Amino acid sequence: MARDLAFLIPEIMVLLTIVFALVAEMLRRPRLALAITVAGLLLATGMTLPLLGADTSVFSGTYRIDTLSVWAKLILLPATLLAILLARSELGGSDREGTVYVLVCLVTLGSLLLSGAGDTMLLVLGLLLSGLGSFALVAYPRNDAATEAAMKFFVFASVTGAIMIFGLSYWFGGTGSTLLSDLSRLDTRPMLAALGLIAVTVGLGYKASLVPFHFWAPDAYEGAPVSIAAYLSVVPKIGAIFALAQVVRDLPMNTGWPLVIAVISVLSMTYGYLAALVQNNIVRLLAYSSIAQAGYFLLGIVATNASPLAFKSIIIFAAAYAAMNLGAFAIVMRTGRSLDAFSGIGRKNIARGVAMVVFLLSLAGIPPLAGFVGKFLLFGASIDAGFTWLTVVAILNSVLSLAVYLRIIIPMYQPPNDTATPTPLSAPAPMPLVRLVWRIAFIFTLGIGLAAQLLLGQMHT
Amino acid sequence: MLPIVSITLFLPLLGALLVMALRKTPARVVHTIGIVTSGLTLLGAIWMWSRGVNATGFAQIEQFDWMPTIGAAYRVGVDGISLPLVLLSALLFFLTFIFSANIKERPHAYVVLMLILETAAIGTFTALDAILFYVFFEVSLVSMYFMIAGWGHEDRQRAALMFFLYTLLGSLPLLLAILGLYLGSDPHTFDMRIWIEHPPLTGTGAMLALIAMLFTFAVKTPVFPFHTWLPAAHVQAPAAGSVILAGVMLKFGTYGLIRFALQMTPDAFRDAGIIILIFGVVAALYGAFAALAQSDLKRLVAYTSVNHMGYIIVGVAIAALATDPAVRATALDGSVLQMISHGLVTGALFFLVGMLQDRAHTREMDHFGGLLKVVPILGWSFVLAAFASLGLPGLAHFPAEFQIFLATLEVEPVAIIVILGIVITAGLYLRAIGKVFLGEPDEKWTGMADLNIREVLALGPLLILIVLLGIAPAWVLDIIHQTTVTLKF
Repeated sequence: MARDLAFLIPEIMVLLTIVFALVAEMLRRPRLALAITVAGLLLATGMTLPLLGADTSVFSGTYRIDTLSVWAKLILLPATLLAILLARSELGGSDREGTVYVLVCLVTLGSLLLSGAGDTMLLVLGLLLSGLGSFALVAYPRNDAATEAAMKFFVFASVTGAIMIFGLSYWFGGTGSTLLSDLSRLDTRPMLAALGLIAVTVGLGYKASLVPFHFWAPDAYEGAPVSIAAYLSVVPKIGAIFALAQVVRDLPMNTGWPLVIAVISVLSMTYGYLAALVQNNIVRLLAYSSIAQAGYFLLGIVATNASPLAFKSIIIFAAAYAAMNLGAFAIVMRTGRSLDAFSGIGRKNIARGVAMVVFLLSLAGIPPLAGFVGKFLLFGASIDAGFTWLTVVAILNSVLSLAVYLRIIIPMYQPPNDTATPTPLSAPAPMPLVRLVWRIAFIFTLGIGLAAQLLLGQMHT
Repeated sequence: MLPIVSITLFLPLLGALLVMALRKTPARVVHTIGIVTSGLTLLGAIWMWSRGVNATGFAQIEQFDWMPTIGAAYRVGVDGISLPLVLLSALLFFLTFIFSANIKERPHAYVVLMLILETAAIGTFTALDAILFYVFFEVSLVSMYFMIAGWGHEDRQRAALMFFLYTLLGSLPLLLAILGLYLGSDPHTFDMRIWIEHPPLTGTGAMLALIAMLFTFAVKTPVFPFHTWLPAAHVQAPAAGSVILAGVMLKFGTYGLIRFALQMTPDAFRDAGIIILIFGVVAALYGAFAALAQSDLKRLVAYTSVNHMGYIIVGVAIAALATDPAVRATALDGSVLQMISHGLVTGALFFLVGMLQDRAHTREMDHFGGLLKVVPILGWSFVLAAFASLGLPGLAHFPAEFQIFLATLEVEPVAIIVILGIVITAGLYLRAIGKVFLGEPDEKWTGMADLNIREVLALGPLLILIVLLGIAPAWVLDIIHQTTVTLKF
């Protein structure tokens, strides 16, 4: 028991952070809640470092402390921290400010549970925990758009969650166990395994906003505060992707799961970018882009057990994705939600313009940026697993993605007199926290691109 | 020993960082930084030249670990094929900085982009690691996109977008091929030297990788029917951008054709040799005929590039088909020399068209006439460069094309119909010279100024080298030949 708890120190730290931050909020001390959250997340990240290289499980195999779950903490905790800084800048001073921090940490905790799940019940728990907090966060502004978005999100999540639990019951019936590691017993009953797989894909696919379970994402992101959209597009998504990896590594191959995942990957990438091509609201554009990026993650998932690059590529891409996507959202927060707000911004504000170009080109996978290294490894993993056709589709989509991101870049460098819209009379006040966030994200987007070895060298597979 | 390759490679990047740091300095200082940095880079390239190459494999190798977990490292070095291209790139960038020292529109961003582009170009030619090569290859694309989009002419946004999408679509198959070669090598590595020494793929795998690479390099070169981005990009690009695009970046395609396609999948290349040869012949003839139909001087020069690059494809295909090592070396010597000649000649021609446009704000041949009397230095320079471009003996293209045709006659005599291209280019250049420079001067051009010091400095070295390379090509050919004669595939 004591051994198990020692492995859970980071999760316990997050839980304590939630409790203390909630107390601070009840005392009407939002700044204290912020300080507690920031300190708690930093401490939890630090406490994760000794776990690097661990490959074990706790509580009778129900929760895994392995490469995936340790790296999930190292990526998601700092990403949460950045999202909280964004939220402070956007929602600071509002009523119930502290609850935002509490809910965000709760969703992060759920995502961490997902990424280490070794048991179907933990999958359900993680999904619900990260779901419940998310609805409240989307509804936070309490206006019509936010309420509608949260409602859609909630209904969608309830239905998909129910389907997942229903399907998991087949697995339980087939194996007599809720442990994922017992799924190999299903190799003689592929139908049963496939039924459960479809159910899990529905549940986790909604969380990761994969096509065809993505309908909630653009509406929820648009209705939510930008900082919350940024957070939802990164942390719960990565948690769900890692959970999917935990599930399929134990599934027998004869269920044909790699093909199912590959098809979803193609749908997500292609539909995501095609839909992004016609968006004029940047938050919606980035929402569809994040649907497509989720499809890229699946290139690593199909290679699970088939290529040594599989988990490495997923982890590197997760780190890259967190940095570049948070960075892009931070700049949207600073600049504005419409495409028009970006016209001429690259000429007026050189640093912010360069940073946005770097984030977008990284999302498109242009070297030597972080997104390139991640996608390159993902491509390698899927070719190694015999899915060359999937890699070809992903590569074609990369061209499409460039067209999507250039839709933002081109107006950024148009001469100011080209635009019909007059420049806003009062420029938004400088946002030092937002600037800090995109600067950090910028450093990581360049750093992961040039020095991916620093991460790769720490991974044991 | 001083790591002169890396110093040469990253000097422009350092210059770019310096310009970024000096955001408030006046344009003159910024242009001076550009000229000085690229001048130092040129000195570095000359230093590399003086160190020479090895008869066996690559020389001046510098390396350290980058991503050892996946077998990627920082590895740079040169051989007889890449060293002349490095020198050409350094020279063209230096001259381009001199030529564009009068740019007043956002000079900081311009110089930064140009310097990043220079590092990317030299990096593409010196990289000995496939990932490193791909990184430089793509960075050049991004900087050229911003160059066209930011400083081009009327329809620049569309042309830049087309250029970026087209060439990105073109370069991603190379990524597939690189991954295929990586997964085929044992142990897995991205070291291009090992891939060349022991080609990792055989049979169908090699053929698929070759097809992917051919697609990439065919778009980059460009070969008919993948050339449609080129005229659009050239017409809209600023003159300096055109010089770099044609003089340096088109060579990525032919250099990659030799370095990757020919050297890493040699057997598949030999099997596909005839088809590649046909593509080369068609590209050369198509480029010549298409150029014949142009009335815009810049489009004309752009299409003659398609023609000249076609000869290189022919030369490389002939080298793959040849069984006699001496003939093979001749064909490759000609191809590599053709890259250098084309860089010098087309660089000069794009400078000249740019100078004309600066003065007349038009590039239509029919709008001019009799300019030789008005601007004699510009006129005679154009005549010289045009004669070089059509392959006149004694000028740069002749020794290169002569060797290619010689080898073609030995190996595949039918393919010599490509020589028709020379007749057509001769005709179209004579027509262009006649329309623009001969006859009676139109009075609206009487006030046109001849070349100023800045323009003479940018153009002069190219014209001198065009003559020098035509009369005495040995000083370049010796370096090229050291490598081509030992290539085994």
